[in-house]
Amino acid sequence: MDFQANMQPELGKLEQIVHQFLLKSLHVILDSRVPSLHQHDRSGDLPMGSRVRRSDKWFNLALGDRPAALDNLSFWHRNLMDQMIIDIILVHEENGSSVETVIERWVVQYERPQVMAPQTGDISGSYKKTYKKSIVLFRALYSHMRLLPAYKIFRKLSSSSHTCNFDIIYKVSSFRDPFSRAEDVVLEEYSFTPIEATPGRLCVSVTYRTNLSDFNLECSTSLPTQIITDYVGSPLADPLRSFPVSEKGVRATSFPLRGIAPPSSAPLERPHSWTSGFHKAAPMVQNQQYVGSPPVYRAPSKPYDIPSSPTDSHGIRIHNYRMHNRHRSTSYDEYQLSPPFSPSPSPSSPTFFNGGVPIQTRVRSETAPVTIPYPMMGKSSRTLSPNLSDHSRNSLPPMSPKRNYASSQESPSGIRSFRKLESSRIGELHTGVTNYAGQKIARDNKDDSGRFSGLLSSSDSPRIGFSRSSSRLSFQDDLEDGDFSCPFDVDDVDTPDVQPSQSKDGKNVSEIGSTSLPMCKKSQDAAVGVLVHMLRTAPPLRQDSSCYSSHSVKPEPEGGVTTASGFFMPRKTADALEELRSYKEMRDLLLSKSGTRILNKE
Amino acid sequence: MNCEACHLKELEVELFEIREVLRCILHTIVFHRALGLVRPKEVDLELFDITYVQCGEVELEKKIDEKIDQFVCWVEKHPNKKSQICLSFYEVKNKQASWFSNKIERLYWEQWYIYLNVAQHPKGHSNKSHHAKVVDPGEGALEDRNARSAALEASLREVLFQIIKFVNEKKDHVPPIPNLEGAVSFPYEITIPSSSDSAFGMDMIKRMLQTGHPTMLS
Repeated sequence: MDFQANMQPELGKLEQIVHQFLLKSLHVILDSRVPSLHQHDRSGDLPMGSRVRRSDKWFNLALGDRPAALDNLSFWHRNLMDQMIIDIILVHEENGSSVETVIERWVVQYERPQVMAPQTGDISGSYKKTYKKSIVLFRALYSHMRLLPAYKIFRKLSSSSHTCNFDIIYKVSSFRDPFSRAEDVVLEEYSFTPIEATPGRLCVSVTYRTNLSDFNLECSTSLPTQIITDYVGSPLADPLRSFPVSEKGVRATSFPLRGIAPPSSAPLERPHSWTSGFHKAAPMVQNQQYVGSPPVYRAPSKPYDIPSSPTDSHGIRIHNYRMHNRHRSTSYDEYQLSPPFSPSPSPSSPTFFNGGVPIQTRVRSETAPVTIPYPMMGKSSRTLSPNLSDHSRNSLPPMSPKRNYASSQESPSGIRSFRKLESSRIGELHTGVTNYAGQKIARDNKDDSGRFSGLLSSSDSPRIGFSRSSSRLSFQDDLEDGDFSCPFDVDDVDTPDVQPSQSKDGKNVSEIGSTSLPMCKKSQDAAVGVLVHMLRTAPPLRQDSSCYSSHSVKPEPEGGVTTASGFFMPRKTADALEELRSYKEMRDLLLSKSGTRILNKE
Repeated sequence: MNCEACHLKELEVELFEIREVLRCILHTIVFHRALGLVRPKEVDLELFDITYVQCGEVELEKKIDEKIDQFVCWVEKHPNKKSQICLSFYEVKNKQASWFSNKIERLYWEQWYIYLNVAQHPKGHSNKSHHAKVVDPGEGALEDRNARSAALEASLREVLFQIIKFVNEKKDHVPPIPNLEGAVSFPYEITIPSSSDSAFGMDMIKRMLQTGHPTMLS
């Protein structure tokens, strides 16, 4: 027993080292492979004078800010002895559709024999040796990551001057999805020498694709930003217009209702149809990351029939669509001229999108937030400030403070973000299609019930969501005179007055949408009605983990990442009701405003 | 204390490539052996599609660059020779008052041998071509150069992998990390061939005697 007692502090230290080892390896790997997770300059230069955080000093390798995903690791990786499998996935195009291929699989594990071998020899202080050897290992790991083929792709992607037709996402899980035979052929394995960490050992190994030239990975320099001078939604262009746009904001659900069409639609085409409108709305800042919002809007369906969208910019958009979180800037510059909706993610939406800050990517847990962004709706439009809810705020940037729109317009954006969430969430739930993640992830998620196998990736879907709706609204503005349909309608520009929203629940919403009322007021009512209907008809929120696909799902807010099911259930109805209430409040506010506006106009 | 030695694969380099190649290799080795707190700095080679990692310490960079400059000078004086650079890590042992010297004894625990075969191709392949050739070697020469360059890149990559492999496999001989400021935790020494061949040979023999480890002279 004495022996045991002596071991305790040792074991405690060892455990701490192992835990940090896992975190650090995740950090190193993600840092070197997923460009969206880091905001700072990719050159790797940390400001020399800056103080290194204590947590960063582990293993004497200062890497800079940890991606938010790491903070969640401790939540799900409860058992130190579980394998930590990090899949680096390349999302690329193949025959017009988006394909995900695992290009690297890192396995980090603390192996510990089941039976404790009798501790012979001097184990005291052995953790120090373990630590020292780990330091060396991390150096080797860091260098090695730059020599593997995937690094070049990563560099291509991170170079901010390019828009690429591919992306890198990652997935962390605790079990392996075996590779297919075909894949096995092209994979090679490399193992770092295990480090003795009595009573176990730390192992890091990687299986990687040796040849990445087969993929059609292209990057092109994005065109310089174009200022769309006749941008409708800009208050600069026409201050009065901002109001109708904001009215439209209520139609939050129309967008999300779009649903997720089967992934057959080429990702690039997705933005094609709806971003055009969006782009009309906002100047295309290079690397418009939100352009592509695969999860939100899967089906290209009809092109967004916004006349002012220059066709040549489609190309840009398509490229930019792919850019999503690659644009590391957290600013919402792109929204400045876009419709008033600030890219405020709904509180629950963090799972889907981070308000534009790449680093917001979070580990998606199975307790992924409900699709109903409850807190946000709880506030009146006036109060729909960027900081909608605390927990969503944690990792999400404040909503575009740059907006110079009236606060009344924030609500639409708020709703929009909500809608974004909705779209990605609900769409997926309904269609059971995991957007980017693909079936694999879905499977993973399903299998790993109770464990986190979420896809940590950054996607801009929410942002896209909003730009989209923004553009939509601005377009609406053109039509003016309340001659538009239910604000919840998302696209289908063909008939501006009657805009059947292409909700994932297609018919439901469109039915409602088709009863679009000419009057602003009525349409808002309809919008609310649609929303309520949608909420009611939505399938159980926690369908399966498949909805956590990479792009579509933004990580859950920090607070939300915990164990799953218990977290889920209580929110369903209560949240929905709360949302409804908030919608009503919003509606009232908007109505009151619209009343004022109309007066002003006249 | 056993001294581990790692003999890296020989590289065929041209004069203008030496700097980059050496910088890459030396920094990589030091990065893996500078076990103090480090902020890694990635550096892309210009001549090759390789990225290596530096410690990010200015002083270290200076020292290494100085040594490389010296080496290049030496190479220019001794063209078309195979040369060797040795990067050694040592521990400082307490002064031992002995009859022959007061100097601090160094106990080398690791040595890295970098073998370079500096080839200078006569036909205007070098960057500075002073002669205006009437008959332009043309594409053949260019292809040659490209082939050489590609081969060197592949070899350099191999060398880097070799370094990582060695670093991974042999960890036991690394002494405990002293609590020093800065990244470079262990004193090191870079030995380049000195101005005369014989001296260089003597140098290596001296080292052999000190460490008792056979070296390979190319």
